[in-house]
Amino acid sequence: MELLGTITELAQAFGPSGCEDAAGELAKSMLEEYCSEVYISNNNVIGRFGERREGLPDLVLDAHIDQIGMIVTGISEEGFVKVDSLGGIDRRLLPTQQVVIFGKRQIPGVFSTLPPHLAQGGNKVMTFAEAAIDTGLSKEELEELVSPGDCVKFDVELKRLLGERVTCGALDDRCGVACILYALELLKGEDLGYNVTVIFSSQEEVGERGAKVGAFELAPDIAIAVDVSFAMNTGEDPKKCGELGKGPMIGVSPSLSRRISQELIACAKNAQIPFQYEVMNGMTGTNADRYSVEKGGAETCTVSIPLRNMHTPAEVIDLRDVRLSAQLLAEFIKEGRK
Amino acid sequence: MKSLLKELCLINGVSGDEQLVRSAIMEKVKDHCDEMRTDPLGSLICFKKGKSSGKKLMVCAHMDEVGFIITHINSDGTLSFDQVGGIDPSVVIGRQVKVGNAGIQGVVGSPAVHDLSKDEREAPPKFSGMTIDIGASSKEEAEKYVSPGDCAYFSSDFLEMGSKIKSKAIDDRAGCAMMISLMQEDLPFDTYFVFNVQEEIGLRGSGASAYSVAPDFALVLEATTAADIDGVSGGKKVCCLGCGPVVSFMDRRTIYDRELYRLAFDTAREIGVPCQTKSAVAGGNDAGAIHISGKGVRTLAVSVPCRYLHSPACVIESADLESTYALVRELAGRIPKL
Repeated sequence: MELLGTITELAQAFGPSGCEDAAGELAKSMLEEYCSEVYISNNNVIGRFGERREGLPDLVLDAHIDQIGMIVTGISEEGFVKVDSLGGIDRRLLPTQQVVIFGKRQIPGVFSTLPPHLAQGGNKVMTFAEAAIDTGLSKEELEELVSPGDCVKFDVELKRLLGERVTCGALDDRCGVACILYALELLKGEDLGYNVTVIFSSQEEVGERGAKVGAFELAPDIAIAVDVSFAMNTGEDPKKCGELGKGPMIGVSPSLSRRISQELIACAKNAQIPFQYEVMNGMTGTNADRYSVEKGGAETCTVSIPLRNMHTPAEVIDLRDVRLSAQLLAEFIKEGRK
Repeated sequence: MKSLLKELCLINGVSGDEQLVRSAIMEKVKDHCDEMRTDPLGSLICFKKGKSSGKKLMVCAHMDEVGFIITHINSDGTLSFDQVGGIDPSVVIGRQVKVGNAGIQGVVGSPAVHDLSKDEREAPPKFSGMTIDIGASSKEEAEKYVSPGDCAYFSSDFLEMGSKIKSKAIDDRAGCAMMISLMQEDLPFDTYFVFNVQEEIGLRGSGASAYSVAPDFALVLEATTAADIDGVSGGKKVCCLGCGPVVSFMDRRTIYDRELYRLAFDTAREIGVPCQTKSAVAGGNDAGAIHISGKGVRTLAVSVPCRYLHSPACVIESADLESTYALVRELAGRIPKL
């Protein structure tokens, strides 16, 4: 599996929360390389990896397939497309941001912005009530092509930066999807310590709703949420951030299984995989929060890939972290429960 | 004209660093003019003989675009930068950029929205809080690719949206494209064509070149702010896409020659192209430096209406480019007879 190509395809695929279909189908086809049976349920892409063996604990690897985006609420009299947010969008960066609307066809557009002489002091960030997308099309043309409920994403191509760093939107959490696929690649033909099920879950960005029903359906003993977390960057607090290129961030938190955290840390140390601590003081804000308490509960942990500029079209990751995270997951699964 | 505009817009040329734009223009016009020279600031001054000699007309446009200059390389390998020309920071945050003449890929980062206080989320971003990330993990690595003083550019494709066009740098490559096209035609009168530098940092190049040429008349070709967007009504729109060339009676830097102003509207009516004025006294262009150059120059500006000027996504209407050119071409045959 070629990691850069896989991440490029995934990060450029369309899948805002609730409209994960295109990204989900792509991830399904990728997962089918490793799992004999893959299906989609509630927009969750689910596959079982390897032979089921009696007596082994059930382990779920979760990454979310949805991305932040926007949803069309209407077309204005002036022929602009009105939208609201799907997930936590940084509204400070909306002006002139390029987007693509998935209507009857893909329609490019840009968020309009007031010129400075009308911006009334310019001390306010636009709300979604004010935001409008300029598609260059007339109201009549738009009414043929776009309907309320259609989804919108930032239109951005993945670009390589120096070293193994890349930038794109939706790396949160398509790099987690790629990481799990890469872990499966490493585990091909290996003796597994768990019965492994993979889920690429929907609607994480609007409140981990896909994982809620996915956790109910799969009811695992152990779940690991493979998501992204904050990487140190200008203006961030170093005490709350990991660093790019320094390996997976292993979660330690009251809401996570301390035992799994420790097993992951031991695994990393044994296999000489560099890792970082991600210490939280309660909920994790990831799908792990759902697996912990669903249907009687599960032991959960997080393995996070450090990422800069989260929830922007300018997210940055280091591919080394994706590879190292996948190695950690593979080691952990081979190791099994002692 | 559209393909010429595309070619010009995709060249990078921030104020003070226009040489790539100038070389491309020289290549296109060298066989279509009788004299061509570059002045000490870098403006390109061309003279083309016409069928006869009238009063001395100078047609001009500026080659430079707004962008950024790298001010410092930080210890973490990120680049601090400042704006060159007037740019709203909210059209910069979260964007892809290219750095230096080698076009190193970068992205403009800032702290994740999750880590901002409520007040910070509602405050427009500032350049002081942003850095350009080229993927370098240290100052030493970044220094191999970038030096302070290098320019950076918006990285934005040229995209047709319905009958409209979206690109960076339409201000003022639209003017350059019209001038190149005009130079390729047979002209009724001798004409000077000047491609100016440094408009965006305060009309610097045009003052010097206007002095050298010392024309009787100047015709400035520009792109000007249109605010015909969602939620803006009446005079606040300033001017409209699809309503033809914009001829202003006054802006912040110039009160235009009244006879030329009337000539423009009369000419437009005669040749059957729409023509509009600006419904606000706003903005300014090279006319500001030219009309008070030397003993004074009778000056007119003819502009293509453009939404989101000074952003990676300027938007114009194709038909306006054509109708503006038709008017300019006709005026070049009439002004020397005044």
